[in-house]
Amino acid sequence: MNDRTLGVFALVLAALMTWAGWGIEAPFAYEPVGPRAFPMLVALIIGLCGLRLAIKGGNPVEANSAGANSRIFLMVLIAAGYAFLFQWLGFIIATALMTILVGRLFGGTWLKCALGGVIMGVFFFVLFDRVLDVVLPAGLLGDLL
Amino acid sequence: MSAIFDHLAIGFGVAFSLTNLLVAAIGSFIGTMVGVLPGLGPINGVAMLIPIAFAMNLPPETALILLAAVYVGAEYGGRITSILLNVPGEASAIMTTLDGYPLARQGMANVALSLSAASAFCGAIVSVTGIVLLAPLLAKWALAFGPAEYFVLMVFAFCCLTSLLGKQPVKGVLAAMIGLGISVIGVDSNSGVYRYTFDSVHLADGIDFVVVVIALFAVAEMLEMLEKVVAGHSVEVKPSGRKLFNLKELAFTAGSIARSSLVGFGVGVLPGAGASVAAAVAYSQEKRIIENKDPDAKFGKGDMRGLVAPESAATASAIGSFVPMLTLGVPGSGTTAVMMGALTLYNITPGPVLFDTKPELVWGLIASLFIANVLLFLMNVPMVRVFSKVLSVPGWLMVPGILSISYIGVYAINSGTFDLLMVVGIGAIGYFLRKFGVPMAPLVLGVVLGDMMEHNLRRALSITNGELSVLYSSSVSIGLWIAAAAVVVVPQMLRRIRENRQARKAAA
Repeated sequence: MNDRTLGVFALVLAALMTWAGWGIEAPFAYEPVGPRAFPMLVALIIGLCGLRLAIKGGNPVEANSAGANSRIFLMVLIAAGYAFLFQWLGFIIATALMTILVGRLFGGTWLKCALGGVIMGVFFFVLFDRVLDVVLPAGLLGDLL
Repeated sequence: MSAIFDHLAIGFGVAFSLTNLLVAAIGSFIGTMVGVLPGLGPINGVAMLIPIAFAMNLPPETALILLAAVYVGAEYGGRITSILLNVPGEASAIMTTLDGYPLARQGMANVALSLSAASAFCGAIVSVTGIVLLAPLLAKWALAFGPAEYFVLMVFAFCCLTSLLGKQPVKGVLAAMIGLGISVIGVDSNSGVYRYTFDSVHLADGIDFVVVVIALFAVAEMLEMLEKVVAGHSVEVKPSGRKLFNLKELAFTAGSIARSSLVGFGVGVLPGAGASVAAAVAYSQEKRIIENKDPDAKFGKGDMRGLVAPESAATASAIGSFVPMLTLGVPGSGTTAVMMGALTLYNITPGPVLFDTKPELVWGLIASLFIANVLLFLMNVPMVRVFSKVLSVPGWLMVPGILSISYIGVYAINSGTFDLLMVVGIGAIGYFLRKFGVPMAPLVLGVVLGDMMEHNLRRALSITNGELSVLYSSSVSIGLWIAAAAVVVVPQMLRRIRENRQARKAAA
């Protein structure tokens, strides 16, 4: 994992942008520069940056401490799960669940996290939905709220 | 002259309305708390509040005042931890630790805090005066810009931001291009063609700016926190006799404050160079000037002049960075780029005409920046204990709170699950990019400016039917090209010269 890896990623991105964007065409061309030129220019520069990084290499990425990677992966999963359940379960329940899991990841005890999660869910719901007029999904608790 | 007072009258009229005053106070308070939290700085605070301010249906000037107050407040919160704990809340506060922390160790914590507040306040005065004098002139000048000049101006902004940010400009360019690439997604307003939407309805309108900003500055930030699980700091504010600095100390530092404020404003006005550059430049300038004259100077060991220099410069530049955003429509820093994105939510495009079409917005914002600094100065000493308590909020409560508030904001924009998932995806990508040392500010600038940049380019080329020479035909655009080349080349050259000199010194 160093600049070379990043360069290869950039080259792949440039290739994907070119491949997916090559077909962009306006049905009626009434201006000299159509909708395709700008994305292609961007892809070209991304490709050039990638090429330079890939050739030069160096600057190895600082390795994460043991266990950090798996926890980061878990965190991404939880965030995705929270996103899925946000609307369906409703804000309060989803937030309470998320807080328990994330809290555990950051070293809180079960009891503290559960308590914190429920309080935070209810508090934010009241604060944002009721006081500040930012509408939040009620979800399963829809009839109660 | 009278025009200036008219402008200020409009501004303070807006800022002194009860709602706006209250919003400025709340914003300063929230901002300070965010700034105190480890790992979170102005850009994170502003990013998380944008969608919420929008969803609350605040009028644009009130929303902007809130965000500006948060911005200034967070800069402020960063210095509380720098002085008390030697933990800079963000990059611009690093210089503050050099002399601030030693002062606190000598039992002068409260004096240092109040002095830093006073110098920040002076920096704000200098900067606001500078804006009042300079901004209308700059806006008038920019009115003559055609699409070609605008395009080159944006190129210039990108050059500034990428070359000043770090040792590897190529990563800055890459970041800017990724940002521009994101801005391309969605329907092209000129031709009605869908680009990179992969037939998804959700992508037809493009990726919302809020989604990108929250992903990069809340989700990616959290992942980074997880990497080095934040231990709760225990804070003990050492009792110190005096709460306030005295007049002698103020007189002692006045020269440094004045010089550094001017430096800060100048650096802030340049697109791209933010508060951290300003603080570093001002500190080294003061150190050089004073150590030549005064052999008793103890920079790095608790010299008050070393405390006030970065403080006044950072604030002056934070406020100065509003100048390019308001007058040219090209933001001067990552945070102002985010704020400009906030304005686009209200369908307001910052630029020279803003001074004529929305004077209450522009001058209200400027007046509020001033008021926010007064409020922060007043809050500083009595509330420092409250703010430092924020530091003891444990990670297991803070991180879920950040995630939850971020989602509330994103959900408020479109009320959909798709945007939330997108936040997670972009956040994870953002985390990887950061690991590779790719700076985030040019990426945000790319997302914010992408649309404008492309349309100005296409419009310019339409005028000449595709002839590229239009991009370097006027004296303004030629000047901007030269300036853009200079900001890329000069810092590199200076770095090389310095390295050579050091190498020679090492050899000798």
